[in-house]
Amino acid sequence: MDDTRAHRGTRSWTPALAGVFTLVLLAATLEIVLDGAVGHSPLIPKSPGIASWLSAVGERLGYRVFLIALLCYSGAFLGILLLARRISTRWAIALTAALQLIVFVGPVLISTDVFSYIAYARMGVVHSIDPYLHGPNAISGDPVYRYVGKDWVKVATAYGPLYTLLSYPLAPLGVVGALWGMKLEALLASAGTLALTWRCARMRNLDPKLALIVVGVNPLWVIYGLGGAHNDLIMTLFLMGAVALTLASEMAPTPDLGRARREMYAGAAVLGATLIKATGIALLPFILLRRRRLAPLLGAGLAAVLLALIAYIVFGVHGVDIVSALNRDAAFVGTDSFPVEIAHLFGKPGVFPVDHDLLKAGLVLIVVHLMWRTWRGYDWVAASAWTLLAIAVTSTWLLAWYTLWSLPLAAISRDRRVLYATLAVQGLFIVHQTAPLLAPVS
Amino acid sequence: MSKSPSASEQGLAGSPRDRWGWLPEWARPLERERRGLGSLRLAETTILILLAIFLAVASVNDIVQQTHVNHRLSADLLTWRTLTGHDYVNLDTEQDVKTHSTRDTVCGNVSPGAPGERAQVCLMLAGAVVKGVRSVSGGYYLPPYRADLRANRYGCFGLAAEQALCALGSPPAGSSPSPSLTLGRP
Repeated sequence: MDDTRAHRGTRSWTPALAGVFTLVLLAATLEIVLDGAVGHSPLIPKSPGIASWLSAVGERLGYRVFLIALLCYSGAFLGILLLARRISTRWAIALTAALQLIVFVGPVLISTDVFSYIAYARMGVVHSIDPYLHGPNAISGDPVYRYVGKDWVKVATAYGPLYTLLSYPLAPLGVVGALWGMKLEALLASAGTLALTWRCARMRNLDPKLALIVVGVNPLWVIYGLGGAHNDLIMTLFLMGAVALTLASEMAPTPDLGRARREMYAGAAVLGATLIKATGIALLPFILLRRRRLAPLLGAGLAAVLLALIAYIVFGVHGVDIVSALNRDAAFVGTDSFPVEIAHLFGKPGVFPVDHDLLKAGLVLIVVHLMWRTWRGYDWVAASAWTLLAIAVTSTWLLAWYTLWSLPLAAISRDRRVLYATLAVQGLFIVHQTAPLLAPVS
Repeated sequence: MSKSPSASEQGLAGSPRDRWGWLPEWARPLERERRGLGSLRLAETTILILLAIFLAVASVNDIVQQTHVNHRLSADLLTWRTLTGHDYVNLDTEQDVKTHSTRDTVCGNVSPGAPGERAQVCLMLAGAVVKGVRSVSGGYYLPPYRADLRANRYGCFGLAAEQALCALGSPPAGSSPSPSLTLGRP
């Protein structure tokens, strides 16, 4: 009786609690966006004034306000996750949509990457310069150049040829037009990923509301991923497309032509993700081990040939050479990466080449273990999520949006450990940002 | 006590008709995991928990270190402002990333203007933070809009002069004069 009463008591509190968490999520997002619109902040890249109409309300965004808003958002996100099963579907969808739209209309947040995307597109389309051979400093007279991050002006693009081709139609729109185009691409990719996450959760008899909230309300997804219009969201869209097609083929009652076609499309979608960002390839071995059929491999192979041919025609051999771009990026070292944090823990100033080798060896061991487990019946979606998470954790160059790769897969995984692990890694990433809050430099 | 797998758990893998039948049983693919893998799962979970604790400790340690660095950088800025008498916000701070010492260099305009628009005075700071400031061990000047490279530096004093960090003997045309500033704590 007491348990029932307590349960009823909790249920009666649910709408009020959910309302509070929703208000905190919306308020924190609005705070970041409105203050960010004022500009002149180390957290807001120099940008054309696309959100200046919002700037009358806020104040210059400093680290302190941003970090407090981010921590409040993260706390409310955990709260709403705990209530996910009890809130209505309409509420979950409305909250997710509202957060995404608030960020969409605001300024570019945290990162200058989107201006590199635009610069590479303008190099190819406006200036006829191969972005796989030169950095944006080759177009130093172009209006976008002043917005490119100073660390990246000499760096040729590391993105896949499919992404570069997708960005080309935006180049003639000018910097502001291209920026809105990139933001719209990111919003649509996010919405598509969320729709597919919902669909896949239902196909797996998991709670789609929980999966939607895990991804669509996630602070790093909304503030960092969508806020920075990162192309990682387009990669996750392709990955989730591949997962949805593979799950649909699994559910088909008998082997038929439709099933083989879906598996081929799934393989092609993985290849599409890979040609956006090379890490997308992580999904393919697990689909092959699960399906144990040639169709996904055939789809991936045909897509690879077709896209490589197009990339070769447009960019030459450098556009096809994803491996060298991947090797170059793997050598980067950033202060937010776990290997660097571990090096500091042991009193070393940073990571050395031998550490890179050890990390690669560790990653290979993890992937081999997961492949063996998948062969012996382990959930292939969970194995894919673990692999993408392991890539992010072992990388010496960890950015917030790298932790998004595994998130939609973890949300629909049958092994809840990978979801907890992904959220824990994201939590540690957020905690690691808080030093300016504890000891501001002024 | 692990149960032996049912036919459905093994899927077609256990069937003689299966194309993987030539593999030994332990290596055949399964549609679903066998029951009785609790010990493997337990081992994985234990490793994951230990790894999570390790990463958490590394993250917290890094934040603590970063707060110490931030405390030191704040003292650097205050020292520069106190010694030059300019209460500027936009100062450039550079840490010693080559030898990983705690010697920092802070540069700022000698007169009001946008960052880098005027000649810059750079101070080399070292030692512990005492009463919110650090000790000045040396310094040099830079012409407007020039990077902090040896080729652009002039007016070295203190440690900068001892280490010959300046390539220019006198201020280039249009640059400010280069009086030596007081060494030690301001």
